[in-house]
Amino acid sequence: MTAETQNPSQEDTEFPCSIDIEIPFHTERLADVAHRTLSVDKELSSLVRRSFSLRNQPQEGSHAAATVLHVRYKATTNRMLRVAVNAFMESLYLVIEVMEHLDVDPGKKQAAKQA
Amino acid sequence: MTQKQPRWRGGLLALGCEGSANKLGLGVIHHSPTGEVTILSNVRDTFVSPPGTGFLPKDTAKHHRVHFVPLALRALAEAGAAPSDLACICFTQGPGMGAPLTAVAVAARALALLWDLPLVGVNHCVGHIEMGRAITGAANPVVLYVSGGNSQVIAYAERRYRIFGETLDIAVGNCLDRFARTLEISNDPAPGYNIEQLAKKGGARLLDLPYTVKGMDCSFSGILASADVLAAQMKAARAKGEDTFTEADLCSSLQETVFAMLVEITERAMAHVGSNQVLIVGGVGCNERLQEMMGAMAKERGGSVYATDERFCIDNGIMIAHAGLLAYETGFQTPMEESQCTQRFRTDEVYIKWRD
Repeated sequence: MTAETQNPSQEDTEFPCSIDIEIPFHTERLADVAHRTLSVDKELSSLVRRSFSLRNQPQEGSHAAATVLHVRYKATTNRMLRVAVNAFMESLYLVIEVMEHLDVDPGKKQAAKQA
Repeated sequence: MTQKQPRWRGGLLALGCEGSANKLGLGVIHHSPTGEVTILSNVRDTFVSPPGTGFLPKDTAKHHRVHFVPLALRALAEAGAAPSDLACICFTQGPGMGAPLTAVAVAARALALLWDLPLVGVNHCVGHIEMGRAITGAANPVVLYVSGGNSQVIAYAERRYRIFGETLDIAVGNCLDRFARTLEISNDPAPGYNIEQLAKKGGARLLDLPYTVKGMDCSFSGILASADVLAAQMKAARAKGEDTFTEADLCSSLQETVFAMLVEITERAMAHVGSNQVLIVGGVGCNERLQEMMGAMAKERGGSVYATDERFCIDNGIMIAHAGLLAYETGFQTPMEESQCTQRFRTDEVYIKWRD
């Protein structure tokens, strides 16, 4: 959810190699957890720019929840882009694995308390 | 998770996550309302690289990512704890290797958010010190913290762990680990452990290695270079069929020299602060010869040496849980936006609010 500070055409010249990645999650909560976890660490290289945003599923209407984590990577060369995106994917995979095996569903917790 | 009868009553629980080097450790600790410390679980997986090599950041980070979830599940299961029992998630914020630190931090952040718990960043060195104090019960010792990544002599004064002496270049454990690579000694379970075992078979010949204590500090890179030269001489002589010293002699001589240096700078700090107690923490603290030499010095001063076993002197998650929970109990937390890891994190940067 970072705003671009340079005008698009100037940025595109400096960082010509880019990729957009969309990661759908089951719930808004999970997308938010992924976003907050992964946006903490800055990009190691000044030759790479990254921005996140949370978006709705494209086919849903205006009341849809923000369940899609959108990431845009821009870099000066394709090699830098590949290195940065690969590293991101490894961290993302870890976050998803943690969600899959270690998440405690708040809904289940409530039901257990009432039982 | 099934509801088991808790082994604790009241107080607070914390999960600690450690991964600054090649050991991934997780542990669950309990602090009772009266300050009693109980270790509920302490699990670890070590990334071992082939003989003649060291562990590289990228591979080590991958190891931690792969093993985090299984170890976390084990830590909770062995503790009989559920996420709802925990007060906070503690993780090593530094010092250490960048990629491995961050790998563990990412997982810790995710847990904190999923389980709606505060995050507590911990200084790795402070973790070692606090665990050493808790396990041994040493009141206010001079601490020798020696590992593959750190070599410091520390004494507590006015809410800081102050560094009285340290290595000017590489850690003593790094010197030993890299020499193990020269001799192509196995890294399983740890290169330093195998050097220790080999050294026990040596000792007939004490080889001449530079002794480099500089005031309160010492340096190890020169000794390593000299040891490497001797190892090359040994191999050359052997190739010619000449009688020469052995790997065991080299390991023994190296240990005797570096440990004597550590004893000297520790004693200097003890004289400064007027203490006769020594606490040895960090992976190199497992070494029995070092404990023996330090013990002899402490005894001469009318004191004693304290050390922990491999569960605690080798990097582990429980020390992070313990130090983290101590900080949390004073009101400390790490905001998500400030939870980046740092390779350089001085021991005296931490405000030790939980001590007088």
